[in-house]
Amino acid sequence: MSDNSKLRLGEFETQVKDGAVDLINRIETGDFAGAIKIIQDLSEARHNNFYNEVGYLTRSLHDAIRDFKVDSVDQIVDQVDGASKITDATDRLNYVIDMTNSAANTTMDMVDSSVPVASQLQDQARDLRKDWGRLIQRDLTPAEFRELYKRIDVFLQTADESATTLHSNLNAILLEQGYQDLTGQVITRVTELIRDVEEKLVHLVAVAGRVDSISGMEHEDIENEVDDTKGHGPAINSDNNPEVLNSQDEVDDLLSSLGF
Amino acid sequence: MKILIVDDFSTMRRIIKNLLRDLGFTNTVEADDGTTALPILQTGTIDFLVTDWNMPGMTGIELLRSVRADEKLKTIPVLMVTAEAKRDQIISAAQAGVNGYVVKPFTAVALKEKIEKIFERIDAGK
Repeated sequence: MSDNSKLRLGEFETQVKDGAVDLINRIETGDFAGAIKIIQDLSEARHNNFYNEVGYLTRSLHDAIRDFKVDSVDQIVDQVDGASKITDATDRLNYVIDMTNSAANTTMDMVDSSVPVASQLQDQARDLRKDWGRLIQRDLTPAEFRELYKRIDVFLQTADESATTLHSNLNAILLEQGYQDLTGQVITRVTELIRDVEEKLVHLVAVAGRVDSISGMEHEDIENEVDDTKGHGPAINSDNNPEVLNSQDEVDDLLSSLGF
Repeated sequence: MKILIVDDFSTMRRIIKNLLRDLGFTNTVEADDGTTALPILQTGTIDFLVTDWNMPGMTGIELLRSVRADEKLKTIPVLMVTAEAKRDQIISAAQAGVNGYVVKPFTAVALKEKIEKIFERIDAGK
């Protein structure tokens, strides 16, 4: 589709080049009326090309928007009518936040309920070991021995029950890691969408660039510096970015170089 | 010792709260960004501030600057626990008067070490 447009643009360039040569010749030979006619012709050709390119840009933009809408009614969300794929992607990413949030909380709940179980086991074992040591040293009275005998029985039962609790908590933690699979799938789909959108945008930029070259428009480069104050989030590909420190050690080194 | 934990993610607040509890700091309060943290700080009951950087509303660095600019709050020790790891950011945090900087993901050991170091410095300065 862009071949046609490139051809037109090429023709226009040739026309401008030829016209320029002709224009100089006419000015040199004193044919000013002819020179003005050439300027008018070129200006008219420029206008025509310009309108053609704007028309083409508008159509491309329209097609791109239509494509997004058509794509959005795929198997992902079938009940949505007219909602864009971007809205769907946003919902999906929110789902990732919800899933990771719930997994993290469930895992921490399991840890919270396991810690006292382990502490209790530890306390009882330490107590028993003290008296067990005295038994080995033959330092126990018969009454103390009978009491220790009972406590060991209680401890063995507690140990059994605690192990069952810990086992089931650990299993719950393990199962909870399934969020990685589910969120991974969602993120893969959103990544595909972004790649798709990027491709279409690059195409639109190329078309818009041709309009610019005919109209002679120049755009100021927009400074794209992100404000440090607002934060950047976790560094991705930090290995390739010398401005990003990769570890706590590097942070500590930097701070100590600043006198910390 | 009352510690204010500021992070927009409740899970991260919970992790920090649990780690602090293991270190013996059981008295903690939470806020989800600088805007909600400041009124809590202004009650004058907070002895230590742990804050994230990247938060909606008021960010951690803005909170740090507000704390240092406030006559009543400026001596509160501030530990930053954040995923922000750009050299310039760490330098601006240092210039703003941060007392410690821990990058996420972090370990319990790193957090403990930085907190202890901050208290050592405070004790040495007394």
